[in-house]
Amino acid sequence: MADHSIAGATGIMAMAGDRSRRARLVIVLLCVGLVIAVLLSLTSGASDASAIGVMHNWLFGALPGDAALSARDRLIIHDIRLPRIILGVLIGASLAVSGAVMQGLFRNPLADPGLIGVSAGSSLGAVAVIVLGSTMLAPLTSALGTTALPLAAFCGGLATTLLLYRVATRQGRTSVATMLLAGIALAALAMALTGILIFMADDRQLRDLTFWQLGSLSGATWQKIGSVGPVIVLALAAMPFLARGLNALALGEATAGHLGIPVQRLKYTAIIGVSAAVGASVAVSGGIGFVGIVVPHLLRLLIGPDNRYLLPASALLGAALLLLADAVARTIVAPAELPIGIVTAVAGAPFFLWILLRKRGVIDL
Amino acid sequence: MIEARDVSVAIGGKRIVANVDFDAPPGEIAAIVGPNGSGKTTFLRALSGDLAYSGEVAINGRNLSAMKPVEAATVRAVLPQATTLSFPFTVREIVRLGLVGGRCGALPGEDQCLPERALARVDLDGFAGRFYQELSGGEQQRVQLARVLCQVWAPVLDGKPRYLFLDEPVSSLDIKHQLIIMDIARDFARRGGGVVAILHDLNLTAMYADRIFVMHRGRLAATGSPQQVLSDELIEEVFDCRLKVGVLPAANMPFILPQSAA
Repeated sequence: MADHSIAGATGIMAMAGDRSRRARLVIVLLCVGLVIAVLLSLTSGASDASAIGVMHNWLFGALPGDAALSARDRLIIHDIRLPRIILGVLIGASLAVSGAVMQGLFRNPLADPGLIGVSAGSSLGAVAVIVLGSTMLAPLTSALGTTALPLAAFCGGLATTLLLYRVATRQGRTSVATMLLAGIALAALAMALTGILIFMADDRQLRDLTFWQLGSLSGATWQKIGSVGPVIVLALAAMPFLARGLNALALGEATAGHLGIPVQRLKYTAIIGVSAAVGASVAVSGGIGFVGIVVPHLLRLLIGPDNRYLLPASALLGAALLLLADAVARTIVAPAELPIGIVTAVAGAPFFLWILLRKRGVIDL
Repeated sequence: MIEARDVSVAIGGKRIVANVDFDAPPGEIAAIVGPNGSGKTTFLRALSGDLAYSGEVAINGRNLSAMKPVEAATVRAVLPQATTLSFPFTVREIVRLGLVGGRCGALPGEDQCLPERALARVDLDGFAGRFYQELSGGEQQRVQLARVLCQVWAPVLDGKPRYLFLDEPVSSLDIKHQLIIMDIARDFARRGGGVVAILHDLNLTAMYADRIFVMHRGRLAATGSPQQVLSDELIEEVFDCRLKVGVLPAANMPFILPQSAA
């Protein structure tokens, strides 16, 4: 029996089967890890601008012997790297938490916004604004300004998720096979509609679209952070309130209801929150895949599936991993840069296959 | 007191439960028996608030359809037939979920060790650190019962009785644990709570139930004490099986009744 039990990672008095101490420790370590990832990102890049110099300059004035920071370095750090890092943190956290919430909602570790068509729906909304923004949707874009793009992405994601949930859930039971297949169908439909829009796009839009679809943080500006940041922060802030309900939902919808959880409200809050977070992320950075499935899965191995810890830990690890992926994307082919979506897919897709291999015979489709 | 009046349930246009009147007073075990497909589980699901029904259901005088999930969770806990999980929760984490919604009624300071105490009651001492998915079906069933017990730890809260709804609580258990679980139900009733249980074993039903509701084709076929209800005629009519109540088998045939437990 001993080899099956889990004692708490810390403390002798930890109760058997109680992983909350370990989870808290992991969250603290992840906070430290995120700070390190942020510092690494500040100092790394195609330019040799030194973040240490810049920070020293902020805090204590110029370094001795380094009369003043060059205007170029200051520009690189303030206007290029810093917004990019903030955006990376926001999007990494939002994708990972959305994955975790979606998995809890569908009661399945394979649910992921990218995999089941939510991102494709968001893309459709975003592409529609990019291509039709100056013609058919001109009244919309002029009325909403920079929020038109994230809003359209949100609506696209929301419509896909609601449709998916309706199709895949019968009498409170979500069929995973139906969910994945319906996700494929919806993603194909969304991509076909996106294809029509791309067909209509002019050359300039086309180039924008291609890079955007591959996924990248390179377009990060303070203005973009201003338009999607609040949406992501708001959605992320709402998620912890779902944690207890999502835990109960692991026992099934009926049982969650018996335990006193308002299941219907929980489901719709989760769907709207995920659509908002994914929509906002897709709007600025395009399709960055696999963060939502890899991060929660790794953390479940480490601290267990309790969403009270899984959600904040996912936010931290998602943010840190996306920063690292972005650092790779920026430096591996410097001075050019790889779309970050390629980096996460190259790392994430084999990991996903590994999950499937490990769980062969266990995952019930 | 749980009172159901003229309750009918239709699923997909088909009437599964028709015009059932049902009373489960505190202090008693009310057993629902009947053949497969007779509507027992559907009726219990209506009573749990999972299914839309026509008619009236009241718990402690309050209309069930007017109760919020958290209010219902405070007065009754529901044990489903089987629960599968897709995430690797430990047994302790599952049992603690019983404390997620309402008020368990444990004394202050008692609730920290409540999962361990509930596990001890269902004879799963030392299982808290195991993974739920690695347990046998019978052990999983008892973990779920421990969770349900946590939810309504005190059978009486604020002077009002609370209820256990058990859907085939002993179906996957060995004889020892069948007796342990039924003793827990009886103890819960003796301490002022109420129990509604779907049972298949007529011997256990006769031994533990204070009143029996026999369901047949969605309707109530008989109600009353075990002595009143369990007759040759009723069993033949409802279960379509010619059996005799209280007849011993031939002398050389071993038989084991739960009633013989010391």
